[in-house]
Amino acid sequence: MTAASPAVPAVSAGRGGRRLLDLWACWWVFPPFYTLFGIIFVPLTRVMPPPSPAKPTAQIVLFFHAHALTIQIGFSVLMLAIGAGSVLNGLVAYQMRRMTVDPVFAYTYIATLAVGAIPGCLFCAFSFLAATFRPDRDPHLIALCYDLGLLTFVGSLGCFATQYLIFAIAIFLDRNKIFPTWLAYISIWQVVTELVAIPVFIFTGGPFAWNGAISFWEGTALFGVYIACLIMCVRKAIERQQPGERVPG
Amino acid sequence: MSAQLVSLWMAAVFGVILLAAFLLFPGFFPPMPPDLTAEQVAAFYAQHQAMIWLSMITVNFCAIMLMPFFMVIVYQMKRMATPTQVLAYAYLSATVSGATLIALADLFWLVAAFRPDRDPQVTQLLNDLAWITFTVPVGMIIAQMATLALAIRLDDQPRPVFPRWVAAFNIAVAVAVAPSAFAAVFHTGPLAWNGAVSFWLRVCAYVLYVAVMFFVVRGAVRRQHQEEREQEERTPLTAAAGAEGVAP
Amino acid sequence: MTAEARSRPADAPAQRTPALPGDAGMWVFVLGDMVIFGVYFIVFMVYRGHEQAVFLASQRHLSLASGAVNTLVLLAGSRFAALAVAAARAGDDRRASRLIGWCGICGVAFLLVKAREWYSLVSAGRTVTRNNFYMFYYAFTGVHLFHVLMGLVVLGVMLAELRRPAGRRTWLIEAGAIYWHMVDLLWIILFALLYLMR
Repeated sequence: MTAASPAVPAVSAGRGGRRLLDLWACWWVFPPFYTLFGIIFVPLTRVMPPPSPAKPTAQIVLFFHAHALTIQIGFSVLMLAIGAGSVLNGLVAYQMRRMTVDPVFAYTYIATLAVGAIPGCLFCAFSFLAATFRPDRDPHLIALCYDLGLLTFVGSLGCFATQYLIFAIAIFLDRNKIFPTWLAYISIWQVVTELVAIPVFIFTGGPFAWNGAISFWEGTALFGVYIACLIMCVRKAIERQQPGERVPG
Repeated sequence: MSAQLVSLWMAAVFGVILLAAFLLFPGFFPPMPPDLTAEQVAAFYAQHQAMIWLSMITVNFCAIMLMPFFMVIVYQMKRMATPTQVLAYAYLSATVSGATLIALADLFWLVAAFRPDRDPQVTQLLNDLAWITFTVPVGMIIAQMATLALAIRLDDQPRPVFPRWVAAFNIAVAVAVAPSAFAAVFHTGPLAWNGAVSFWLRVCAYVLYVAVMFFVVRGAVRRQHQEEREQEERTPLTAAAGAEGVAP
Repeated sequence: MTAEARSRPADAPAQRTPALPGDAGMWVFVLGDMVIFGVYFIVFMVYRGHEQAVFLASQRHLSLASGAVNTLVLLAGSRFAALAVAAARAGDDRRASRLIGWCGICGVAFLLVKAREWYSLVSAGRTVTRNNFYMFYYAFTGVHLFHVLMGLVVLGVMLAELRRPAGRRTWLIEAGAIYWHMVDLLWIILFALLYLMR
């Protein structure tokens, strides 16, 4: 690492006692984004909880007809708001840069979630929007959109499993204790929820289907716990951060 | 010749190529209406297959060549005197996601053109997915512009990295592209994916954005190199500290 | 690792619990994991209630011997882990390391027996999609297997900790042993549910 390179200052000029406005601006994205996320995915687009993979084609078509308006509104709003996820991604990654671990994990965190946003969130939106765009489409194609949307949404495992795993390991290795150790253990649980979601590619019913008690419900409940804890821990981390703290660029 | 200058050159060269590819894509000028029947869509792909290949294969190869340019912006954001560098990370994340979406949309178009004898309904579905993926997810672009604008506003130094007006410009372009989020709801009208707002306003705004930002970024990089040269002249003994791209 | 200016003292465990061995985080993890597995078991029981005959018939094809061997193997591993904690507390690092090694051997033995068991079931056509019983069987033993694999990593961390010359954290050894006890306990419950319960 070069010392005092003028290219990227280790401490940017003009800080002194300046409040961490940019960090707080990013943190305040958390509550509205996740609230909006909940509203979009639960009552509007009906993706959470997902309708059954065992639905016959005719019922799938009915599902899209019945909810076309709210699906379109919900996912169109998601398209506007999805950038908020990137902001939160950057926020957590930045806090990881304050850890004593090498930057590798912070970069991995950004990379995994930047990837995951597409197959794990937006692809469902595209599929459902395509399904509702032409109600008179061939029913088998509508059913294809159904599968594409829900299987990708529930079944995007690796990007998030990687993210949760390196997040946990980073917390364990971090001597600065930016995040408390128990958050790492909750992150490990999240890895387990990705593991038990593996069978969604195999079963069209039961607890391990994409709407199953274990693969979906338990996983989602745990995700809610994780997000709540993450929001609190990031807030604490920002509160404890001193303006002008040396954070490697 | 620094990495940043190489990135700018790449953006200039590939940006022009990309623009040409977009102009040549038969589906863009004029933009394909959403309310074509499946047979019309299939006929379109069969009829224009060669041009679709030329333009979309070019986009496939060249679109991500602009990534280094956006990474220069990330790097310049890190030079800003913001309280922290969090906004640069957010910008990075949004850029990666946004670029992935272009890559995906491009593939949908190419797959649609691959088998002219496919069931027209299937071709129409692929076409729909391509247009939706291309037009609708503006959130990533908005996040890029919002984080950059905020960083510029918070860049508290006598000679800011980017001039202040660039923040307002970013917000204006974000507002211009935002309505495209609703393109998957309409088959006709200004918000449809071929409409005055979702297509023309959005595409023109974004092309203008890349062009303007190119010159803005080029200015910032030049100023940076200038400052580094001045610093080297002032302290000749610290030989390797300044010049970007020179191994310490 | 690059040295960067930091304000906190290094290596202080954030949440020591003077009354309990190990660290608070590990207890959170153990209790939470038990709750998670508890939900799995409840779901299993609900499905079993609907299809008791199928479950009982399928259960007969499980190798009780493999299950019993695995139970004993994990119990032994747990015992080794507990002995390792005692040795670490007494300052006998070499004995502690040896015992951790034995625990690891038990873990590997468990994996081998489980692999053989799966292999023979699959070759007999009893795959995960055969019926609901096998679905649960493979899913639960699979998740448990992941825990055993993690347990081997934990043992590695414990060994690395014992090799540190100064400022060794006994609570970390304790936490690792607690983790192994949990893995053991989960297996015993699984064994009872899947293999034994009539």
